[in-house]
Amino acid sequence: MSVVHVDELQAIEMPDGFVWRPVRRHFGIRAFGVNAYTALEPGGQIVEEHIESTLGHEEIYFVLRGRARFTVDGTEHELGPGQLVFVRDPSLKRSAVALDDDTVVLALGGKPGEPHTVSAWEAMFAAVPASREERWDEAIAIHEEALTEQPDHAALLYNLACMEARGGRHVDALLHLSRACELEPKWAAHARTDSDFAAIRHEPGFPV
Amino acid sequence: MSDLPGYEILSIDDLDRYTTTQGSQVLRPLRRRLGFRPFGVNVWVGESAGDHVVEPHREPEGTEELYVVVRGCASFTVLDETFDAPAGTLVHVPPATFREATAQEAGTTVLAMGAKEGEAFEPGAWEDFFVAYAELRAGNAERGRAAMQEALEREPDAWQGAYNAACFEALAGETEAALAHLQRAVELDRREVQRYAPDDSDLDSIRNDPRYTELLP
Repeated sequence: MSVVHVDELQAIEMPDGFVWRPVRRHFGIRAFGVNAYTALEPGGQIVEEHIESTLGHEEIYFVLRGRARFTVDGTEHELGPGQLVFVRDPSLKRSAVALDDDTVVLALGGKPGEPHTVSAWEAMFAAVPASREERWDEAIAIHEEALTEQPDHAALLYNLACMEARGGRHVDALLHLSRACELEPKWAAHARTDSDFAAIRHEPGFPV
Repeated sequence: MSDLPGYEILSIDDLDRYTTTQGSQVLRPLRRRLGFRPFGVNVWVGESAGDHVVEPHREPEGTEELYVVVRGCASFTVLDETFDAPAGTLVHVPPATFREATAQEAGTTVLAMGAKEGEAFEPGAWEDFFVAYAELRAGNAERGRAAMQEALEREPDAWQGAYNAACFEALAGETEAALAHLQRAVELDRREVQRYAPDDSDLDSIRNDPRYTELLP
């Protein structure tokens, strides 16, 4: 058993301006997906604009505290505590901004009809603070842990390669980048212009 | 995609309100109302201070649960530890661990979610039974019957469904239907039915019928 108050959860500020409060990861929950989000200031992003088509998730966004303005499928809705938006259709674009300085939104989601699998983006989000401070070993370890469960996840492999390239592990970077490109050829195009690979771009084995 | 709307907005205060036969907690069935399919999620309310907001129970079949206190303040007991959980508190409980919570303030509300690791979620028939019995007690037998029917259609071969239908019908005074469902339940799992039926007051209205004795000698 473990207990935490939402304000005590780790606060990971994302490059897009919203703050991820990892709930599932905090407790090590394996059976379902749940996270909390806060904003840096009123008017700030609290749910990033996204769709769920790739993962096929149904999602519930529940306002735990404060107020938020959601935009779902192009329509705005202002929601207060105890209100929620259920996005059944994964292809609908959704986002939200906080309207109060203490707004908290809980996001619950998963794919119907399948056992829950931990979303790969959680590891990428969790590695953000370490990457920001160039603690590459830590960022790499977070990716490696996620890859033990999803060894053929191309985006995770690509991200891992980025961090290995930045951290001076050039052989590992080339290996993981090649594997990512093999699984999803689109990553080769990204790699050619990605500044993370500056140090290995001219190595033999770099995907061209 | 079905013809259901792509998204819906609602407040937990708009949900139906169902009281339980045992304990004092009130269920506001969120998952059922939304038709949310990935995992279980419901709202529980202790309407008066001291009422249960999470009934005392374990999840012996492997359901991992997270409780989020949404309003008020709950007094949680998990295993043998008791603590205060004000709004914003998240409590994670592994499957077989005992847990319960009572409201310290009127209207204390908890969002509860759960599922089994490694298994695709199937909505539990308990949600339908909870609604069915509550509707029957409130004098809405037809609405109750509709909820019961949903459970029977979802799990046609579960003894619990047939048994609960028998209880519902016995309470509603429908002797013939109750006996038919009891017979079905016995066919599906005689041992389980024999374990529960003798002490189940829901079946009192049919217990003196000779056909009951024939089914459960």
